[in-house]
Amino acid sequence: MGEATQLPARWFNGRSSRAREVRVALTPGPRGPRLQLIPLDPADGPAREFEHDAVGWPPAWSSRRHPTTLSVELRDAGSLQIDNPQAWHDALARCGARPGLAQRMQTHWPVFVAVLLVAVVGLGAFYRYGTPWAAMQLTRLVPLAWEESLSQRVMTRIDQGRMLKPSELPVARQAELRARFDALVRQLGPKLTPYPGHKPRYTLDFRHGMGANAFALPGGIVVMTDELVTTAAQNGLGDEALIGVLAHEIGHVAYRHGTRLVVEQGVLQIGLGLAMGDVSNIVSLGSTLLTSLAYRRQHEAEADCFAQALLRQAALPTSPMADLLIAISSARDDGAKTQAHKHEEKGEVGLFEGLFSSHPQTAQRARQLKAGEAGSCPL
Amino acid sequence: MEASNRPESAVPERAGPAPSSTIAAHPLVFSGGGGEYFRVWIVNVLLSILTLGLYTPWARRRTAQYFYSHTQVADSPLEFTAPLRKMVFGFLLFMLLYLAFEIATKTGQETASALLILGAAVLAPYLWASAMRFRLGSTRWRGLQLLFTASWKEVYLASWPVFAIALYWIATVYTIGALAPEPLSLPPATEGGVNLDPVLSRVSPTQWGLLGLGLLLSLLAAIRIEYNYKGLLVRRAALGTQQGRWKPVYGDFVRVWLATVGVFLLGLLLGFVVIFLLGGSLAFLGDLQAMGPAAIIFVVFSLLALLTAVLLISAPARAYREARMFQLVWNNIGLSHLARFKCRLSAASFVWLRLKNVLLTLLTLGLYRPFARVNEYRMKLESVTLHVKGGLDQVSGELSRQQSGGMADMMADAAGLDLIG
Repeated sequence: MGEATQLPARWFNGRSSRAREVRVALTPGPRGPRLQLIPLDPADGPAREFEHDAVGWPPAWSSRRHPTTLSVELRDAGSLQIDNPQAWHDALARCGARPGLAQRMQTHWPVFVAVLLVAVVGLGAFYRYGTPWAAMQLTRLVPLAWEESLSQRVMTRIDQGRMLKPSELPVARQAELRARFDALVRQLGPKLTPYPGHKPRYTLDFRHGMGANAFALPGGIVVMTDELVTTAAQNGLGDEALIGVLAHEIGHVAYRHGTRLVVEQGVLQIGLGLAMGDVSNIVSLGSTLLTSLAYRRQHEAEADCFAQALLRQAALPTSPMADLLIAISSARDDGAKTQAHKHEEKGEVGLFEGLFSSHPQTAQRARQLKAGEAGSCPL
Repeated sequence: MEASNRPESAVPERAGPAPSSTIAAHPLVFSGGGGEYFRVWIVNVLLSILTLGLYTPWARRRTAQYFYSHTQVADSPLEFTAPLRKMVFGFLLFMLLYLAFEIATKTGQETASALLILGAAVLAPYLWASAMRFRLGSTRWRGLQLLFTASWKEVYLASWPVFAIALYWIATVYTIGALAPEPLSLPPATEGGVNLDPVLSRVSPTQWGLLGLGLLLSLLAAIRIEYNYKGLLVRRAALGTQQGRWKPVYGDFVRVWLATVGVFLLGLLLGFVVIFLLGGSLAFLGDLQAMGPAAIIFVVFSLLALLTAVLLISAPARAYREARMFQLVWNNIGLSHLARFKCRLSAASFVWLRLKNVLLTLLTLGLYRPFARVNEYRMKLESVTLHVKGGLDQVSGELSRQQSGGMADMMADAAGLDLIG
């Protein structure tokens, strides 16, 4: 106690705005420096001791420059004002004060750079592996009934809003495709059930409008457009091509991608929104958009891989599906033959196209499907 | 011993006291700097990213501490004393509610999300008041705690314009429904989508009048709410035993808003001229069809540009309103009979500073934001002078513990009521 430095200070006792001259002594304590307050005027009472936890220690903002006056909060005992902040921080350091990480980052650049590196690596890993994993775990908790009711509502909305019209395919043709779809579903074994216990009732529906396309809703509804069937016929592709596309959509249902996307986007919006929101909304919006597109591409790759495994199980070829994909994408390009797509046909992928598309590049997908090695497939 | 109310005779204790009628001027000073605050901010951003946003309450506390401790009021800094535990707890509670709302809307549970919105609307005055209670209660000067002493009844009475305008709109919707010659149902969708023309042509002039009147009344109600809340905040703010004093009248606020509308129209006109000039140079880009996937990127960037344009066009008006409001308030408030404030903020230079800040922030993708914040804070704060009658030593008070409301504070923050500003 004898060697403790004493600093002059002004004490405001919390009940009056009048300053009282005091001396402040800092001494080492078990959990950090302790503070002793010694009034100079006997009328201000005896000396008071404050344990480390009873003091609101002001942070240091820089290793060199300090505010002109430092204030130290003493909870119910009011506040202290120190006119020599440098002496205060020096005395604290001598008493073994251990500043937190934020303050060390604030006052030492090397600490900041180290944390920056950890942040970059950690963030990449989190959004690459952490979020998808967490989404999968959370999706396990979502009951199938919820998925089914959601899909029912979406289908009703699509039909009532006339976004899609009833199918114009002959009923016999519909039944024929449906039979093949059901046969395909019967091939699903435990290996092709990523969520054990998740046994949706797969149904195939036909609609008209929106071009050659097929989509799956969580809970088992797969929808195929008339235009997809006609496109396959026009290109001389058999039903194997359509079955391949259906296998891909079944993959989306089995992996519960619709539900996962809700969870993943929630994590992204909240996580990135909070973290980046203070930088700028554009940065936050941009990173959310890009990451969510990356997840969608991941889902597509997973569904491709699933389709390939399912087709193999059913002893069906994968290349007709690949041909159909190419036929659709070249039909879309007919209106706009552009430099970018010519590149794509050659298999070159521009950086921007890679970043901004929700599906993996068609040419690449088709090539991998043909070779039977979709999306570095674990199945 | 000198625990409670010390009369003014306490002053002569000090050497060479000023006679109690002398008025001393104390210009407020901000001793922080943009570069230094940039480090505070970047550390916050980094730690927030690392903790997936969980660092937010700590970050808010550090920011408040930085600004408070560099704000000198009559040679004593402000002190930010919010207990960290309360801030963290409030943050977690707020996040839980937010998550519930997100899940409810995302999964289409309309009743649940409607209930949450309705609940927030009814509770808004309560939340505002507890946020203010938290903020003032977390502020000390010379060891004395600021207090917000309004009762819940006063807060809800001050909120009458919200309820009045809600009633007006409900009544209007019913009246329009009753006046309509036939039910206002949408005609069936045609090939090109929903056709609104028949609906619009069936709305009678009376109904247009009701709608127009409603918009005007809504604006007046919004101004009234701002006036009521600001007034309540000042009148029921207390430092020790001294209550705040409030002089502005409603007409002052309306005048500021009218001038703001003028500035906005001027900005709009300028914006149109600029867009018109730029429009000519954009035309050569030709039709988007031929651009393929690049068109998507182009459209995204055009949307961003449009958003930026809206931001830029309304920026002068918003800055102008902020500056005029600041002038009005800080020229007309005080602390009982002890202190009053004078403000010589120039609206023109504040608008100019804001424009510079917005542009630089956009150009640096947000990295300029801390500098902008410091610039604006400094300009506003240092325009204010505190005039104290009879010395600084005469205020007395009690430290009180009315410091709940961490969650309300978080909500107020989310709604854009800055802790600093």
